[in-house]
Amino acid sequence: MNGELLYKKVGIPRAISYYNNYPFYYGFFTFLGIEVVLSDKTTTKIINEGCKYVVSDTCLPIKVFTGHVVNLLDKGCDVIFVPSIQSTGYKINNCSKIRGLPEIIRNVINRDFTMIEPTLDKTENISFRDFCRDTAKYFGITDEKSINNAIDAGWKVYNDFLEMTKSGVGYQEALNNAISGKVVKKSVDIVKPLSVVIMGHGYNLFDDRISMNIIKKLEKMDVKVYTSLNVSHQEAVDSIHNIGELQYWANELELTGTAAYYLLNNKVDGIIALSAFGCGPDSLMVDEMMYHCKEKGMPLIHLTIDEHTGEAGFVTRLEAFVDMLMRKKRSILNKQSAKTQKQTAEIVKIRDNKILTGSAK
Amino acid sequence: MSKTNLAEDFEKNKMEDTIPAKDRIIAWPRMGRVDIPLKALLLSLGAKVVIPPPNSNEALEIGVRNSIEGICLPYKLNLANYIMALDKGANTLMMFQAPGSCRLGNYTKMAQKTLKSMGYEFDMVIFDMYKSKMKQTLHAFWHVTHCINPWRYYKGFSLGFNKFFAIDTAERLLFYTRPRELNRGDAEKCYNKWLKITDETNSVWQAKKLKKQIIEDFKKIPIDKNKKVPVVYLIGEFFVLLDPYTNQNIEKELGEMGVEVQRQIMFGDWLEHVLKPSIFYRKESHRERSVKYAKDYMKRAIGGECIETIGDTVYAAKHGVDGIIHISPFSCMPEIVAQNILPKVSKNEDIPVLSLVLDEQTGKAGYITRIEAFIDLIKRKQMRKS
Repeated sequence: MNGELLYKKVGIPRAISYYNNYPFYYGFFTFLGIEVVLSDKTTTKIINEGCKYVVSDTCLPIKVFTGHVVNLLDKGCDVIFVPSIQSTGYKINNCSKIRGLPEIIRNVINRDFTMIEPTLDKTENISFRDFCRDTAKYFGITDEKSINNAIDAGWKVYNDFLEMTKSGVGYQEALNNAISGKVVKKSVDIVKPLSVVIMGHGYNLFDDRISMNIIKKLEKMDVKVYTSLNVSHQEAVDSIHNIGELQYWANELELTGTAAYYLLNNKVDGIIALSAFGCGPDSLMVDEMMYHCKEKGMPLIHLTIDEHTGEAGFVTRLEAFVDMLMRKKRSILNKQSAKTQKQTAEIVKIRDNKILTGSAK
Repeated sequence: MSKTNLAEDFEKNKMEDTIPAKDRIIAWPRMGRVDIPLKALLLSLGAKVVIPPPNSNEALEIGVRNSIEGICLPYKLNLANYIMALDKGANTLMMFQAPGSCRLGNYTKMAQKTLKSMGYEFDMVIFDMYKSKMKQTLHAFWHVTHCINPWRYYKGFSLGFNKFFAIDTAERLLFYTRPRELNRGDAEKCYNKWLKITDETNSVWQAKKLKKQIIEDFKKIPIDKNKKVPVVYLIGEFFVLLDPYTNQNIEKELGEMGVEVQRQIMFGDWLEHVLKPSIFYRKESHRERSVKYAKDYMKRAIGGECIETIGDTVYAAKHGVDGIIHISPFSCMPEIVAQNILPKVSKNEDIPVLSLVLDEQTGKAGYITRIEAFIDLIKRKQMRKS
């Protein structure tokens, strides 16, 4: 099969859809005999490189994506995978910038390179299978059978990954295991005094540079962190409907679905919303969740990040929020214990009275 | 609640029905001159209407106070229009929505929620501009008026359409005449006069004649026909293009600097394309033309007016236009993509492009300076050519 391939390597930038779909991409491309080259992990240099190419109003994730594409080109990989995910359901569209990702990359980077740019658009009846077929076509593969097998191989890696994350394995660990074909499950759930859910896109949350290691920071403060990875797609969709909203944005499901799921089952003490500055859909959806949180009395903090966010200020806000949650929980517990103390005192009193009046005989 | 149930509920929610049709007082958000034709349509269907005051600093302040920080400028003004109309006695709000384009699809739902939580009582009537548009539109107008007389519909729609076309014609002529007029202010006066006459016209027969009369009247204004006037295309986001408050009356500023403005998005044209069934619409629509011209730069439409922006720029370059001014509200997603693409188009097609981003804090002086510098650049380029 290798003889027919037009390109032997494909570069996948470590940004945007990488954080949601990489296990699938890996399984798919590897099965077809294409070597996957990843860009380096996000650094300040990569972000600055990206900022040079796009206009300043563009949001951080797109700048990071551009930086990663440049990084891949510098590495000598000139076949780059830039998918355009337009919609994931009828009238459920993505944000314009994600829809037009190939459009941006083609026009801002004036270098010679090949772009693999398949489209997924369910509103216009371009299904996921068409998306994969389109991808394979760029490499000169038109054999239906091998494409179908490659899709199955992709799903296998992806399902392994989801199974692991659902059981509580961290993002990076699950990814590494899924790629090497292992399935590891976490059997013991550590109980911590506080738990929060972070609602944020994968590309913000699991990128250590962009999110400034927020998950590790919270875990250091003895807080258990839930993310979109702990909620399955079906649970997210159901929670959105149960809370009384219709899904409008495609990739906002990982925010709203996760927040709604934990809002409904009362498993967490607070919600942290993490979004990039100038993100259009996020600004609406965080507001929508804020409305539901107010109704249910759930604390929510909205943290906005951009390329200049100072780490110190970020940590201060996180610490303040955690402190606030701690105080709230303590006061609730105190009230409860006071109530029980009062009740026991009353019981004792009644009993004593009965003894005194002699009715206990 | 099951999924289908919720979807049905949502569909029902789109056209709320708590107020009897005869008690309805209808209002809609303002955008440029939309109120004149819409008023004519609703009045001929026998409805009562309230027109909110024009967009102003005061309106913007109300909008900003009641909406979230990250939302785009058009929503803030829409919300202010609703609030002002409700304060003036309206009880039914009409708005169209186009799901899947950009944040516009969320506008109505959000406004509904915000206004209800502010304690207003009203009906919101939303009509989709996605598929089967004419049917949806007719249904929405039937819903608010309960008018079943087909003659009235005919009268209303033809009045509305003719008024739209009349206003568009007047605007086009105004843009043409303003930089060339001998006595400053003639064109503006004439335009305002016809706007008033259009508003007052009440019969289909007269409305049909409006266009011709406007053309004849504009011909009477003395102009300098041999004056060399640079031509600038005004492109960008739909709302800011059509709303003179939001774009700080950029057309007038440019006209007074001696520049002929051509705006590619005209509300009448857009409406005709959207509402007319495709069998009757024979012309090449704006969208089709844009897709054709933009194909070297964009392979897919990505929502909003992004592809129109790129397509128009290429079209302008190929048809001898001197420059492009691209305006968009702050954080408008499709226009940010367009902004990223425009530098390359500008370089490859050799056409100067100025991108202006508008928000509620744009200072007018800085804005004018940039436009002036841009016009100087165009003129110098023209001189070098000749």
